[in-house]
Amino acid sequence: MATSQKPVVGIPRALLYHRYAALWQTYFKSLGVETVVSAPTDRVIAEAGARAAGDEMCLSLKVYLGHVASLIGKCDCIFVPRIVDFGIRRVMCTTFEGLPDIVANVFRDEHLKVLSYNVNVQGGLGEKEAMIALGRELGFSRKAAKKAYKAGFAAQKAADDAAAAKAEKQYKAKGLKIILGAHRYVTEDAYYGRPVIQYLKEKGAEVILADAVERKSARRAARQFSPTMKWEVSREIAGSIAMHEHLADGIILMSVYPCALDSMVDDMIVRKLKDSGVPILTLTMDAQSGTAGLETRLESFLDILTLRRRAKQEVKA
Amino acid sequence: MKKEAYLGVDVGSISTKGVIMDGDKNLLASAYIWTEGDPIGAVKRLIEKLGAQFDRNAWQVVATGTTGSARKLVGAMLGATVVKNEITAHAVGTTAYHPDVRTILEIGGQDSKIILLENGIAIDYAMNTLCAAGTGAFLSSQSRRLGIPVEDMGAVALKSAHPTHIAARCTVFAESDLVHKIQMGHTKEDIVAGLCEAVVGNYLNNVGKGKRIQEPIVFQGGVSKNIGVVKAFERALGAPVIVDENGHLMGAIGAAILAKHHDARKVFDFGIENVAFKTREVICGQCPNRCEIICVYRDGKLIDNWGNRCEKGDITARQAKHA
Repeated sequence: MATSQKPVVGIPRALLYHRYAALWQTYFKSLGVETVVSAPTDRVIAEAGARAAGDEMCLSLKVYLGHVASLIGKCDCIFVPRIVDFGIRRVMCTTFEGLPDIVANVFRDEHLKVLSYNVNVQGGLGEKEAMIALGRELGFSRKAAKKAYKAGFAAQKAADDAAAAKAEKQYKAKGLKIILGAHRYVTEDAYYGRPVIQYLKEKGAEVILADAVERKSARRAARQFSPTMKWEVSREIAGSIAMHEHLADGIILMSVYPCALDSMVDDMIVRKLKDSGVPILTLTMDAQSGTAGLETRLESFLDILTLRRRAKQEVKA
Repeated sequence: MKKEAYLGVDVGSISTKGVIMDGDKNLLASAYIWTEGDPIGAVKRLIEKLGAQFDRNAWQVVATGTTGSARKLVGAMLGATVVKNEITAHAVGTTAYHPDVRTILEIGGQDSKIILLENGIAIDYAMNTLCAAGTGAFLSSQSRRLGIPVEDMGAVALKSAHPTHIAARCTVFAESDLVHKIQMGHTKEDIVAGLCEAVVGNYLNNVGKGKRIQEPIVFQGGVSKNIGVVKAFERALGAPVIVDENGHLMGAIGAAILAKHHDARKVFDFGIENVAFKTREVICGQCPNRCEIICVYRDGKLIDNWGNRCEKGDITARQAKHA
């Protein structure tokens, strides 16, 4: 592919976009490659994804496929990275290992062009080299690609540091503090996760995202729960909860159905924190559109946290 | 001067419950009827029954609380001063009569929950998630299969000395296991007793998973009327299980108490029997989310709406602006 005919790259606003938005956007911008990001999830996107997807896929993957579908015709290729691992016991969910193949197969009749980069540290491929290779594939010099990666890396680090700093400040807030333990693509999803956060905020709660954390410390802290847990993002979330549970009034573990990682990790967190006295609410999201059950759970959970706090203050007084 | 009373209404998927209480937690009136898929009609009948049971010249209902899955709809209908979720309402209601309760087990028609309390305050709870396994609906469908009225199942179960083991993890598996055991020649008594144990096993493995169940334990909800399930709980937990005679009213009682403690006051008019309430579903076309909005009309006038994800779908507000 020559630089003279640079393609327009379509980026689905789903799954790891919510973790790497700054990296990807800055990288492509630095190379001068035009990108188009799909709109925030709405019902049309969610339903299109559910139609395209297989039965056994998790809700977030279904949503992702809806975003891919919404980009068809708006770009020359779809950007779908393959992210396998970052080292030993730093593995990603297998969905991210197979994602480019899943997208290509689900949309095989559309003859989608998939643009990808492979991160597989245990296989000898780090993120930096992978993204330099991506730039070479797009027809840029190694130097230009390296520069673009550096800019992207710095932007992502700044965004992550800012999010972690904001969370640390939130832990010191006066209001009812709730740690929300969930994958970023669940909490950031405009149709499924965001309304939950919105609801909690409207009721006056301080919602703190568990994955907004200094990642290295969190991975280390996760050993308190399990020395062998191998999933990168689960370790960050579980570790962050281990670091901060004593500062929170309650914890909500929110996952999408069926998430293999959360089905094990969330259950483990509940068991490990059994004696800590922090109330934990587990929420599983499915494609059902009714919010009545969800509201009942959130409202009663907030009632419990409010009453507990009042009782604690009365004991002190 | 009339004395102050409080109305509490709990509208569930299967049954509709209501109480009128004085300020000292004494019941002035109570009623329990089937919802029959028509919450509006059920509430009208309920109010009629309640209104006939107490002296309206001596008492005046000054605040109303609603709870249960139809709490919003019924709250709009009755002009409720408090609309609360059923978990909080049950915790408040139960602690009014059992102030030292530590665990509330509840199995209703469609859902089941567990509430843990400390010093009269709910500290933790869990609710069944996506499926209705092991709830009243499961027992009533199996009672039809066995030809034993659901009311008699408890007594039948007590006759069994060797409850049949029935797979408890999932209703679908439990059902196929049950059919198999019938064909193998297990007696009905043993199978019914096994079903009661399956309900308990399912509950403790799902809703009660990881929870520390401490005494005193109160069991309520429709299934608590089944003595077979009560005994199965006592065997599984190794502790006595209390079933309050008013257990089925605890949600309504909690709603009435919450209404009393809340500041809002609004005299309740028993005349709603003659008011026409209608609901209508509207699909909002303002954005791709196409929210399903429920509009509630009182004598043809829109009084409330919900179901919208954003303010664009707030029809009541929109009409108020145009008016």
